[in-house]
Amino acid sequence: MKNVTLEIDGRTVEAGEGTTLLKAAQSVGIRIPTLCNDDRLEPYGGCRMCMVEIETSWGRKRLVASCVYPVEEGLRVQTNTERVRRIRRMIIELLWPSSQVYAEEYGVTGSRFEPGLTDCSLCGLCLRYCTEIKKENRIYFEGRGIERRPALVEGSELTCRACGECFTLCGSGWIASRC
Amino acid sequence: MNTRKPVAGEQPAEGPLDVLIIDGEEAFAAACRRTLEHAGFRVATSGTAGQGLALAETRHPGVVLLALELPDMPGAEALGALSRQAPAAVPVVASAHGTVDAAVESMKLGAFDFLAKPVGAEKLVETVRRGLNLSVLRKEAAGPGAAGAQAPDKYDLLLQGLDVLGEAYSLGLEKRQLLDELTWLENEAKYHAESLGQIKKKERVILDIRNDLLESDVIMRRYDFHKNALIQVLLDVQEKFRWLPRHVLNWISGRLNIPVRDIYTIAHFYEAFSLEPRGRHIVQVCTGTACHVRGASELLTRISATLGVKPGETDARQAFTLETVHCIGCCALAPVVQIDSRYHRNPSKSQFEKIIQSLEKEEVDTCPA
Amino acid sequence: MSRIETPADLARLRDQAVARRNSRGTWVAVCAGTGCRAYGAEALAESLEKEVEKRGLGKKIGVRKTGCHGFCERGPLVVVQPSDVCYLGAQPKNVPAIVDKLEGKDAALDKLLYVDAENGKPLARLDEIPFYKHQQRVVLGDNVHIDASDILDYIAVGGYAALAKALSGMTPEEVLQEVKEAKLRGRGGGGFPAGRKWETTRKAPGEPKYVIVNADEGDPGAYMDRSILEGNPHGVLEGLILGAYAIGAGEGFIYVRQEYPLAREHAQKALDQAREYGLLGENILGSGFSFDVKIHRGAGAFVSGESSALMSAIEGHVGEPRPKYIHTSEKGVWGKPSCLNNVETWANVPHIINRGAEWFTGMGTEGSKGTKIFSLVGKVNNTGLVEVPMGITLRDIIFKIGGGVPGGKKFKAVQTGGPSGGVIPESMLDLPVDFDELTRVGSMMGSGGMIVMDENTCMVDTARYYMSFLAHESCGKCVPCREGTRQMLRILDRIVAGEGKEEDLAVLEELGDFMEDASLCALGQSAPFPVLSTLKYFRGEYEEHIREKRCRAGVCTPLIAYDIDQETCGKCGACLRACPVAAVDQSADKVFTILQEKCIKCGACFTACPEKFSAVIKVPAYAIGKPSAGNPPPAGKQV
Repeated sequence: MKNVTLEIDGRTVEAGEGTTLLKAAQSVGIRIPTLCNDDRLEPYGGCRMCMVEIETSWGRKRLVASCVYPVEEGLRVQTNTERVRRIRRMIIELLWPSSQVYAEEYGVTGSRFEPGLTDCSLCGLCLRYCTEIKKENRIYFEGRGIERRPALVEGSELTCRACGECFTLCGSGWIASRC
Repeated sequence: MNTRKPVAGEQPAEGPLDVLIIDGEEAFAAACRRTLEHAGFRVATSGTAGQGLALAETRHPGVVLLALELPDMPGAEALGALSRQAPAAVPVVASAHGTVDAAVESMKLGAFDFLAKPVGAEKLVETVRRGLNLSVLRKEAAGPGAAGAQAPDKYDLLLQGLDVLGEAYSLGLEKRQLLDELTWLENEAKYHAESLGQIKKKERVILDIRNDLLESDVIMRRYDFHKNALIQVLLDVQEKFRWLPRHVLNWISGRLNIPVRDIYTIAHFYEAFSLEPRGRHIVQVCTGTACHVRGASELLTRISATLGVKPGETDARQAFTLETVHCIGCCALAPVVQIDSRYHRNPSKSQFEKIIQSLEKEEVDTCPA
Repeated sequence: MSRIETPADLARLRDQAVARRNSRGTWVAVCAGTGCRAYGAEALAESLEKEVEKRGLGKKIGVRKTGCHGFCERGPLVVVQPSDVCYLGAQPKNVPAIVDKLEGKDAALDKLLYVDAENGKPLARLDEIPFYKHQQRVVLGDNVHIDASDILDYIAVGGYAALAKALSGMTPEEVLQEVKEAKLRGRGGGGFPAGRKWETTRKAPGEPKYVIVNADEGDPGAYMDRSILEGNPHGVLEGLILGAYAIGAGEGFIYVRQEYPLAREHAQKALDQAREYGLLGENILGSGFSFDVKIHRGAGAFVSGESSALMSAIEGHVGEPRPKYIHTSEKGVWGKPSCLNNVETWANVPHIINRGAEWFTGMGTEGSKGTKIFSLVGKVNNTGLVEVPMGITLRDIIFKIGGGVPGGKKFKAVQTGGPSGGVIPESMLDLPVDFDELTRVGSMMGSGGMIVMDENTCMVDTARYYMSFLAHESCGKCVPCREGTRQMLRILDRIVAGEGKEEDLAVLEELGDFMEDASLCALGQSAPFPVLSTLKYFRGEYEEHIREKRCRAGVCTPLIAYDIDQETCGKCGACLRACPVAAVDQSADKVFTILQEKCIKCGACFTACPEKFSAVIKVPAYAIGKPSAGNPPPAGKQV
């Protein structure tokens, strides 16, 4: 596989073609916060915590989710700018009170908003683990938009309790509370 | 079946049986027969497994009282043969060796109950009665073909009995004179009517489900049972049934080899699908932007109040489902409501009521009953 | 009916089709688009046919059910050809008079003619009516001439000539080059150059390649694509085949909303007929090029119009957008290069091939060439579909073509671009309409929805309406779009209920910027635009709702109440009869009053009150001592 060279937070990084920016950053010890990422699973791009600022070699600047954006030759990436931090703070606030892992780091102590779903951030980790790794297909999302919530296929409680592998993936304990 | 109660001691020569006793122990068999005949059952006896099994096949007994100790065959083997040759018959096992092991063993082999000799008359009658009820169920479940000559006779008996009852009442006979017989018959009739009703109901449900699944097969065949056609299949199912019944979704999951999970995700995601039965008429208030600025909210409030249901709901009679839709592209008629396939421009309360009444009238007119 | 094997066969067939049309001297075109059908166009066409038959005129006069003529406000529409005399709002009872006229007799049909608003004179011909006069109907032009269910009608007016020209005399590269030179931009929303998109798919590795028609017109208040597909499905199909030829695609899809049954039916019929004539399938017109098309019905989700979501749906999955750093034109359906354009874009292609890129670039502005179809709806006199050259001003569209705002009301704003667009205030009405200009002022071209709003439209309510739509139409996958729309909707709900706070406006703007930056797909990125643009141009209305608890348009139900003006009340009782919840009280001396605690504010009494009395009035809720009270709006999915 071909290697490409890019710059992340001022450091030159080499990575195989097709690697995501997130993995490339992690390979040199640069930490980018994530909520819906798990190395065993396909990248999802849902939580948007891992947004970073990029500038292409022809000078185009934009914000991208580093967990799904592939490395490009000559790309300049900044993982911790004020613009990016502002986005992360807003995400933490919007998901409040669930998903508070990064609250302290980003100085968020509460939220201006009434909570949406209090016990689930809809990160899809359990669902994807159940589908991709366990191939059990027990969990799905019901509804769309602001109505979206997780749901278990009818009659799955026993199977799920017996497996329980996704319980630990979940920051909020949604599945554990239903099995 | 001319006499409901044959003379004791005579073997009924033909016709279906209620009980067949297969037991080498003559005295016990005879005693049982007497007791059961007295209770009104048609009974035959046989001393050997060979003759007994043949009788079971030809005379379709409801219950077979089978002794474990037989001269020509081990009881367990006879039990197995019985379930093969006369599957509708309900076997009740009797044994002089009334051990727990023997009981468990024969239950495992499919015996409906286990009686330890000696058997009390009451206990015997009660067990046979329960067994007969089960056999009616079995015959019913085996389908109309298998029930064959059996079921009608059974019901004939009941109907005849009910006629007698009716006669007794109409003649103003003192009920006490016929007390035992009539009370029994009355109870029996009620019981059977009830279980018959339940069976019929269950049968209808099962047949309906079977038809639904056949229909959905027809739909899936249009797309060669192709996985990728899932959304198209569901749209056709929705159109056919006006909703997505759960059993159909499960069936499709198996047929197309798609996890149920994926089907539910899709069914919940798209506007077109309904997981609840919808009414016979669909009232869709357009809430597209053109309609919105021309007063769709007011129209919706008015229609909702007139129908007495909120958007997304169906009325109790399953007649009307009220929905909102994002733009049906009749912006010139805004605000517009689509009722089934017709469009109406901003109907007033009385206009709307008229439309609804005419729809209900059509329904009454076209209803065969 | 035989297969067309060569361009010469097609020419012969065209001669036959033209001869068939010319065998009758007069044709009566009855618009049978969804709008006119709702007005009873089918019954009208049937009674016209019967009347013609009854009088033994069947050999001289033909009746043709055509696609949408555009002037939906005045349907059902009838156009007599070749004279182009147009009858508006014709009903079966007018049929004898219409046929009389066709026979050359005198008939009083003035009531069915368009009346000039200025001098009161009737205008008979299509090209005299202002609604049509100022349009330039390229794509929609054929609608009035053809029966969509008959391929021969399309062939008679020159259909499939572009295909024959391309397949017999142009290489795929030349077709592509022509479209690139025409500078055709995608009509679905973003305005991406179609030629460049085609080229990307053409060059992308991977076989087979797909071409797709996006007819999932989810934009509420827009029905251009439906009318094209209903009225001229072969035009779209021809464009698609040309595209497939240029791109090297062997298979195509038409993705059509299930809410558009007629469009689906006509598209299906078009496919069947084209296949029968050999215009689809193996070796089209003997060129060696093979191509076929399937129809895929969309099950109803606005987000399905997004390219990656649409392709997921074609694969049979949930229509959720995928993170798209690799474009669907390179990796689309089943990971194969897939070129998606909307109906109007494809429908432009045959015209470009027939008449050349130079002709096409002769219309429009520097950055936006050709024409654009808008659905002009809302508070406008002439609701309908209009096709205009790019660069025309909004004022011309709304006032010259649309006839302005009805009822002498004052124009307030026009909304373009649907839920992803924004509002444009009166001060900007002289803006030339093109992709870049509309984007510059905070709105967008979108697919062509144009909703006119007057003084009785509340801008906060409008923003809330779009936000409610988007909050339920978002797929819910990414946090910014799902939670952002949720919170914006909550804030707007509070404001329209008179419970807004001073700091709400700043929070709305902050959320808006965040969503634009961080959302996964275009739906979320553009979701805040209706809010941000109303805030930009109509901030005062927001402030009135928050500070004074007042809705100047009288729309936000919690802030208004209905009352009966006893001085003008004619005591007719119309309000009492109209009320669905018995909230109108009648005292012994016939004094009608509204029982505020029962009133659900449906406006039935307001509408029912005869104009000569106009006694039912809207008053601020606080005026009757019930600030921000009243029943909440109905708990519908999208009210």
